[in-house]
Amino acid sequence: MNRMILVGGAVAALALWTIAALSALPLAEWPALPWRIDGMSVGQILLAYGLMPRGVLALLAGAALGLAGALMQAVLRNPLADPTTLGTASGAQLAIVAATIHAPGWLAGGNLPVALAGAGAATFLVMALGARRGFAPVTVTIAGMLVGLMASALATAMTLAQGHYLLSLVMWNGGALAQVDWSGSRNMALALVPALVAAAALARPLMVMSLGPEGAHGLGLRLAPLRFATLLLAVALSAMVSAQVGLVGFVGLAAPAIVRSLGARTLLQRLMLAPLAGALVLSLADGLLLALAAAGGPSLPTGALTGLIGGPLLIWLLPRMKAQVPQQTEAGDRRGHRAPRPARLLAGLAAACLALGLLTLFGGRGPGGWGFIAPELRETFLPLRATAILAAASAGALLAGAGAILQRLTANPMAAPEVLGVTGGASLGYAVTVMAVDGAGPLMLALGTSAGGALALAGLAGFAMRADLAPARLLLAGLAIGALASAVLGAIMASDDRRAWVILGWLAGSASQVSALGAAALAGLALALLAVLAASARVLEILPLGTEVGRALGLPLARVRLGLILLAGLATGAATMLVGPVSFVGLMAPHLARAMGLARAVPFCTGSWLLGAVLMLLAAFGARTASYPYDLPLGLFATLIGTPWLFILLVKRTSA
Amino acid sequence: MTLFTLSGVTYDVPGRRLIERLDLTIRPGMVTALIGRNGSGKSTLLKLISGQNRPSAGRIAYAGRDLADWAPRELARDLAYLPQVTPPAEGMLVEELVALGRFPWRGALGRFRAEDHAAVDAAIRRCSVGHLRHRLVDTLSGGERQRSWIAMMLAQGARTLLLDEPISALDVAHQVEVLDLVHGMCRDEGFSAIVVLHDLNMAARYCDHVVALGAGRLLLDGPIGALMTPEALLSIYGLPMHVAAHEGHAFALPR
Ligand SMILES: Nc1ncnc2c1ncn2[C@@H]1O[C@H](COP(=O)(O)OP(=O)(O)O)[C@@H](O)[C@H]1O
Ligand SMILES: [Mg+2]
Repeated sequence: MNRMILVGGAVAALALWTIAALSALPLAEWPALPWRIDGMSVGQILLAYGLMPRGVLALLAGAALGLAGALMQAVLRNPLADPTTLGTASGAQLAIVAATIHAPGWLAGGNLPVALAGAGAATFLVMALGARRGFAPVTVTIAGMLVGLMASALATAMTLAQGHYLLSLVMWNGGALAQVDWSGSRNMALALVPALVAAAALARPLMVMSLGPEGAHGLGLRLAPLRFATLLLAVALSAMVSAQVGLVGFVGLAAPAIVRSLGARTLLQRLMLAPLAGALVLSLADGLLLALAAAGGPSLPTGALTGLIGGPLLIWLLPRMKAQVPQQTEAGDRRGHRAPRPARLLAGLAAACLALGLLTLFGGRGPGGWGFIAPELRETFLPLRATAILAAASAGALLAGAGAILQRLTANPMAAPEVLGVTGGASLGYAVTVMAVDGAGPLMLALGTSAGGALALAGLAGFAMRADLAPARLLLAGLAIGALASAVLGAIMASDDRRAWVILGWLAGSASQVSALGAAALAGLALALLAVLAASARVLEILPLGTEVGRALGLPLARVRLGLILLAGLATGAATMLVGPVSFVGLMAPHLARAMGLARAVPFCTGSWLLGAVLMLLAAFGARTASYPYDLPLGLFATLIGTPWLFILLVKRTSA
Repeated sequence: MTLFTLSGVTYDVPGRRLIERLDLTIRPGMVTALIGRNGSGKSTLLKLISGQNRPSAGRIAYAGRDLADWAPRELARDLAYLPQVTPPAEGMLVEELVALGRFPWRGALGRFRAEDHAAVDAAIRRCSVGHLRHRLVDTLSGGERQRSWIAMMLAQGARTLLLDEPISALDVAHQVEVLDLVHGMCRDEGFSAIVVLHDLNMAARYCDHVVALGAGRLLLDGPIGALMTPEALLSIYGLPMHVAAHEGHAFALPR
């Protein structure tokens, strides 16, 4: 019966496309085969070389993304992985943005070569790091996320610096499926068919790989080449899609999850069915938008709206999904390393945090160049600066604490605050307030933002109570909620409106608009979070050992998990509300802490908390001084500072 | 007073019945061996009576009270369970792992007292893992890891021990050591234990009572002597066996 969903979806997608096509041109006037362009009317040409290839491309691109996602999830052994995990799409995006702004001539031959070059560079970086550890899943995942974050931060920075290019870029970012001939579909088909064959050939070795490195080795499988080939195939597919139609989010994540909840159990089934589900999701989304546009609605980028279809579908299907086999770390990933004196390390971090706070408070860049703030200016400027610094540091600590909780709870290195969907909900709340209320004040905006975040969190909690709280599924639910929110956000951003610029600025993060009261409240919350973390140390120590041990030791698992999720969600929401969605601090800080050898619950959580504050302090300082007298976005700086640091730590560890 | 009373216990997973209407009582103060062929439902039964899983039908009472009426930590102070497969303990030292066993007593916030340290030390000593105290659990050999987990379980201070194949990775000297320890605790200190074992001779030597399962049903429930007969072994394993005696101990060998 479940499979009927696929059939129903296909019928719906076809119906939507047909509605759009018929409203463009009545059936009687459709061109007869073979087409001869000189004998066709404009309407006929639009149908034959616009709508028809568009429908086919939606199918093919969706299938490619579904396949890429299924491959990525198999090789990285992580249900949260998708084609964007390795930073490929962000690399392509960065290349396009950079070329649009600095060398428009390069785009004369179409986006494809530039995008492929960008994707290739990003992939090269990730693979270079991964190769040092035999492409062990966690290492590749982290490296990919780092490269992706870095590239998209750079792209956003460039976009913000050149406001007038904004709209065309957003259109590309949002994935535009509009076609003028059949070449896009032909290219996609030429890539997809061999990829399907290759994936089928990889299915059995990948299945052997799922036994873990020892098992695979025992069966005579060499892991590194297999992983490399699989990653390369997935990356090539997603690069193709990025180059042809831009960023299409969520399909690659949702398609494999959907087929798994529909009962596809073996890897081969998943690899062959995921393209089908991907094609359906993208076609449905595109058909919906086409039908909307035909009915006189706005014309929106499809890629940003896939969450509209995929999000609810995934949320609905998730309870049926069989529990995942928990992934295991393997030798290449294992950090075996523990800092000999964690207390000393933590004290050092705390001292660094304080020193940085004071330095950024008094030091900086003024009209007369670098130096300390002049005494006569102190009275006016210090309170303002202190507020911004306090808000930034507290937000960093809150997000990092939330990330630490989630990583401990789920043992998934991709778990980060934005995975909860709270950030997406809050961003949507902000955007809706900006659009709906003319000249909304800070209070109004704060209200809107927190309402959005709270709604997302309530949705997640509701889901958590329904399903039996298996953390892996919960994260997928959070991602689905977040995708839904960002789909709506994407639609708002793509509407031709100057207010979109305000929203993009907020999305990049800023602490300069926070009131003194807000900063104090945030600091209070951050301290409270630290206290709760210290108080839950034993619980956080037991949770990674899994359900059986937790139960055997008498831990009330359902309550503990729900409580921790809500705590992480609240911390994320509070930080997002005041300084914008800079939540990747929540991803980076815990990884930094672990890379420094902080392994046990208390040092790990405290260290993450401190590192989050340090990162945001550095970011606040950089944002204020880099292009004085203008403030730059805080979130961008946090990424630009944090990613290279973590990268260096990872490289150092591998060579040690 | 009985330790466990099972009445009509059934356990289903989608599409399959793993335990079929089981009626059984288990008495305290002794070592009960739980035996049966692979896949006969031993681990499933142990998970049910340790409260890990709830039966699909039927009731399980522990120490006279329905298992569902026990609060989680209260139960963990009284009953300790060692899973057949222990999870990876990333970044944890042996003594930190063993100290987790005190969680049921102290909860998330309670201070560690002298008695907790004493319990941890005693458990580490009893399992002979003192020299491994400061090693990372994930770097130990299979047998060393198994003994560390048993130490964690002993530190829990529970009077009932449920062990799922606790000696599967141990050399023969450590097998004897662990079973001797469990046996001694039950004989002299009033503990109770249920141990899943595959080694019949070890079971005959160190256990007092036997429960045998086959395809989720009860095949045998009696004193350990009842197990060591060719007829009983044939019905459990479907394999003809010789039973011999040497200095008062029974031995079984495949024919
Ligand atoms: N979650 C499950 N789903 C389906 N079958 C299961 C599950 N857990 C155990 N089984 C099956 O139940 C039977 C008993 O398992 P188990 O109790 O682990 O056996 P053993 O006696 O070897 O410990 C086996 O056939 C096993 O395959
Ligand atoms: Mg078993």
